[in-house]
Amino acid sequence: MKLLKSVVSLLFILVFLTGCSVEPRPIPYGEANCAHCNMTVTDNRYGAELVNDKGKPYYFDSAECLAAYVAEQPEVGEKAAYLLVTDYLNPNELIDAHSAHFLQSEALPSPMGMNLTAVKDEAAATQMQQEYGGQLLDWNQVVLAVKNDDKFQ
Amino acid sequence: MMINFSKHTFILAAAFLLLPWGQVAFGSTLKVCQTCSYTSVKQAVQAAKPGDTVLVDGGVYQESGITIDKPLTLIGKNNPIIDGNFTGQLISVESDNVTVKGLTLKNVATSYRQNDAAIRAKGRRNLRILDNTILKTFYGIYLEGSEGIVIKDNVVRGENKDRTESSLGNAIHLYYTDDVEISGNDVQGHRDGIYLEVVKDSQVRNNLSHKNQRYGLHFMFSDRNVYTHNTFRSNGAGVAVMYTSNVQMEHNTFEDNWGAASYGLLLKEIRDSVIRNNHFRRNTTGIHMESSSRLDIKSNDFDRNGWAIKVMTTCLEDTFRLNNFTGNSFDVSTNGKSQHNHFENNYWDKYSGYDLNKDKIGDVPYRPVSMYSMLVERVPPSVMFMRSFMVDLMDNIEKVLPSFIPENLVDEQPMMNKINHDNNRELTQVVRKAAGAEGR
Repeated sequence: MKLLKSVVSLLFILVFLTGCSVEPRPIPYGEANCAHCNMTVTDNRYGAELVNDKGKPYYFDSAECLAAYVAEQPEVGEKAAYLLVTDYLNPNELIDAHSAHFLQSEALPSPMGMNLTAVKDEAAATQMQQEYGGQLLDWNQVVLAVKNDDKFQ
Repeated sequence: MMINFSKHTFILAAAFLLLPWGQVAFGSTLKVCQTCSYTSVKQAVQAAKPGDTVLVDGGVYQESGITIDKPLTLIGKNNPIIDGNFTGQLISVESDNVTVKGLTLKNVATSYRQNDAAIRAKGRRNLRILDNTILKTFYGIYLEGSEGIVIKDNVVRGENKDRTESSLGNAIHLYYTDDVEISGNDVQGHRDGIYLEVVKDSQVRNNLSHKNQRYGLHFMFSDRNVYTHNTFRSNGAGVAVMYTSNVQMEHNTFEDNWGAASYGLLLKEIRDSVIRNNHFRRNTTGIHMESSSRLDIKSNDFDRNGWAIKVMTTCLEDTFRLNNFTGNSFDVSTNGKSQHNHFENNYWDKYSGYDLNKDKIGDVPYRPVSMYSMLVERVPPSVMFMRSFMVDLMDNIEKVLPSFIPENLVDEQPMMNKINHDNNRELTQVVRKAAGAEGR
């Protein structure tokens, strides 16, 4: 009985501890639906994530969906613990959206039609711009572009 | 057989018979086979002149990177196979007026950078892709910035075992391409069966799209397209439609799309569209609608779905008429009280009203949204109380004294019998007379 009690309390503590940490989660590709557009998140070069201040993750299929979500609900964006996008050159690696470099180029169609590709490294982004053309944006410009539905064509 | 042809008819018939050969009639034919002077498809294509025909007769050809840079007809006879051995793209079309017919194309590796395909074209016109079998490729058919396309009677089969969605492309992928006919294809085992982004004025008919990891059909920003007589079965989810107006979806079948977040048809920001005579069978959600307005949803059958329709409060001025709702766990569910849609003359198997004046229309209005479905929408885990005594009690009290369910989400004239859509016209007239309504 004593053993049972201790096991139960231990489990309880475990659940309690793991359930509330505020940190990025890996995006469950193929299982999660985009919180903004409801599409299944499948392409691991473009996924994005928002973790709110309570540690609840929201998944997105693309940076433009994350930007649209934040644009529609600015208070959620401001309170979020993390805004993350995927480094195109390292699929599955999430990077901070605010420090990422976004290449908007027609040569690289992204899942939701804004042609946005996020890259972690500035030099790599510049090199990709030379290769594919287009323009480099920072996160705030991305949010603005999504607000204006500016597809850069 | 002595049929008295008039000369005129004969000429006309002859003209019609020769029509498909129009391009061929002026060129010569280069034959490719194991014992011919050309033993490689690439050689023959290079040697051909504009307007020629390259006829591949049987055999297996280990080739990739075939570039068609002139108007050409490439035809396979006796099931020739072009096997790329995972060395890159098979056929790149770099000319207008090209036909690729009757080939088996296989083995293209995943390539994130180039999105390699069995057949690819960019900025071309008048391409015909017919009767091909495409196996184990990253993308099957990938067209960009083109127009005047026919993709007909092809089989595209991907290998999706043990592969993540990211390493799979789409079977038929169109981007900024207009005036397309996609018909009679069988597409399976890819990420999306048919993917259309910014595709206008096109027809998608008689296709079977099944066992794809994400969607059977997926289109975005693609106005003025028609989708009829397609079957979408056992995909991750059936069809996703976004940011589009003037869609016509008729006589399609959406079935067996099960999963926590799965649906037969997802509509998001769709306007001025028609959804008629479709079958929604055994889907977690038949139609999930968000921010979609002015849709005419008529004469559809919703049978044995978890939710037949989930209509979010952002949907305005949608009309649901003459649909059958049978054997669904929930007929209609919504996420709020405001409701600006119109339900009329549907058949609901859960309707328990009566018809005293025998006009085939129930005398008591039917409210398809149950209180419990609202609760489930708000607190999803409460679905485990389904069919429990308390839930039934709650629903019945709510029926008598509605206080939570949206007041205007109501079918004032529910039908007493299941609607037979075939002699629907008669029935509509009967209904109209009975209702004294002017033709809507």
